[in-house]
Amino acid sequence: MNKKKSLVFSKKVYAFLIPALVLFLTFWIVPIIQLFYYSITNFNGTNYNYSFVGLKNYIRVFQDGSLINACQNTIIYTALIVVFSNLLGLGIAMLLNTEIRAKGIFRTCAYMPALFSAIVVGFIWSYVYMPGNGMLATLLSFCGIDGNKVNVLAGFQSSLYGIAVVDIWKNFGTTMIIYLAGLQTVDTSLLEAGKIDGCTEWQLFRLVKLPLISATVTINVILNVIAGLKAFDYSFIMTNGGPGKATETLMFVIYQMAFVEQKMGRASAFSVVSFILIITVTVLMLIYMNKKEVEL
Amino acid sequence: MKQKKKRGYSIIYLLLIIFCLVIILPLVIVFSSSLRHVANQSSPLLLFSELSLESYRKAFQNMNYPLAFLNSLMTTTGSVAVVVIIASMAAYPIARIKTKLARFLYFFFIAGLVVPSQMAIIPIAQMFGRLHIPNTRFTPMIMFITCSLPFSVFLFTGFMKSVPIEVEEAAFLDGAGLPTRFFKIVFPLLKPAVTSVIITQGLWIWNDYFYPMVFISKRALYSLPVCMVQFLGDKENPAQWNVLFAACVLCALPLVLMFMILQKQFVNGIAAGAVKG
Repeated sequence: MNKKKSLVFSKKVYAFLIPALVLFLTFWIVPIIQLFYYSITNFNGTNYNYSFVGLKNYIRVFQDGSLINACQNTIIYTALIVVFSNLLGLGIAMLLNTEIRAKGIFRTCAYMPALFSAIVVGFIWSYVYMPGNGMLATLLSFCGIDGNKVNVLAGFQSSLYGIAVVDIWKNFGTTMIIYLAGLQTVDTSLLEAGKIDGCTEWQLFRLVKLPLISATVTINVILNVIAGLKAFDYSFIMTNGGPGKATETLMFVIYQMAFVEQKMGRASAFSVVSFILIITVTVLMLIYMNKKEVEL
Repeated sequence: MKQKKKRGYSIIYLLLIIFCLVIILPLVIVFSSSLRHVANQSSPLLLFSELSLESYRKAFQNMNYPLAFLNSLMTTTGSVAVVVIIASMAAYPIARIKTKLARFLYFFFIAGLVVPSQMAIIPIAQMFGRLHIPNTRFTPMIMFITCSLPFSVFLFTGFMKSVPIEVEEAAFLDGAGLPTRFFKIVFPLLKPAVTSVIITQGLWIWNDYFYPMVFISKRALYSLPVCMVQFLGDKENPAQWNVLFAACVLCALPLVLMFMILQKQFVNGIAAGAVKG
């Protein structure tokens, strides 16, 4: 279509936007803007006689160490999810994309956990990790190791990895289904041509399949990055941020500050900082992945 | 050559079987334990050693299952229906008009994807207060719909661009106005996108416990996942584990059944959602 005014689409077509835009502005954009405002007050969430405190909230947030700690945890968590969901997802999708039988059963097994609510998954894995009677402990005892000594969620080092495993278990199935759809679009004649030219399986994968599904890789990485940065569920359900602050993610700290400590001003300052962080990481990621996509 | 290929396949089968067993092992154990008596704590590895519905009876009562199920069902179907309609409507101008404004709106909606719900929840709750929206079982729906908009608009815009503009030009010449063209011509051509939105958004809305937990205080209004949140205290009490497992199974059952029946739609819907972008 050129610059001429379209006859078929008059300006009236913008009216179709109204319902969605009204909802989106009132319940999403305006509250987010309000966060910026509350972040310079000592508002506690209920008492409206609050006063302005300037940048005090921001200074507190940067000084008391919870921000750095939560950032670190969130980044480790995100990295684990991105790497392992994609490796597992792509790996299983490759295996399922061969001419094997009973694909449906395997696919169902791998995807099943994604159907469950995070709260159900949290309970199931609390049980898996439970010392003594839990699944992991029982299995280890069965193998002759004292299961009572293994308490994944209570260890300062292991707890964050423990909940990352839960997230990967739940979500890699979705990643796999997207990869499977991507792999099915690869033209088999290209693979045959490669085979005739004497490519090994690895070369076929690295030089033919991977470049052809690069868009799928991008979307999966981005989806997993977004999910990782939003991490909240398993810190909330399984560990309550603990032990100490070992599993406190950005969103968990915000929730804790706002609802438990009732420090809305500081929670808002924390939100603003995490908001900027999340946007920056996502945009950088998008730019980087798009570049990679072209190179591949 | 054939021999080698055969061996390759058996390795694939072996890998897949081992992997799938590891993945579903926790689910199998949870299911088998849920079929035990409330206090039966003998080794969980003795799968299906007892088949009693005692734990289920208790969980069923504790959760007030029929009511919770109905609440979940109503909020999910209602939200998804509204999302499909208003998101596809919003995508119409964004996909069809090629101005800077339309492009800006597109990115404006998509940017909503990266904002987590926990972040803005207090200002959101205040907004509800200021607008005097009462706390009913339908209150979380507003947030379900709002949070589903970014992805749905994104998806519908992608699909709508593949609907040829000529179809609409023909209709325009026949004297059809914008609403007629949208609802009678464009919308029916978006079926794959509609399926995809229903599956992806329905899944998270059904499973979400955060918004109902924040907005609903009366027990009778709880949806299934919020009923599960009430069990959080029981986690420390091993005597209740079998009941908790039964509750987990009851909570997950509707979606698992749905998936079994509509497997193809699920798989295509999830894939379409990501691939079209």
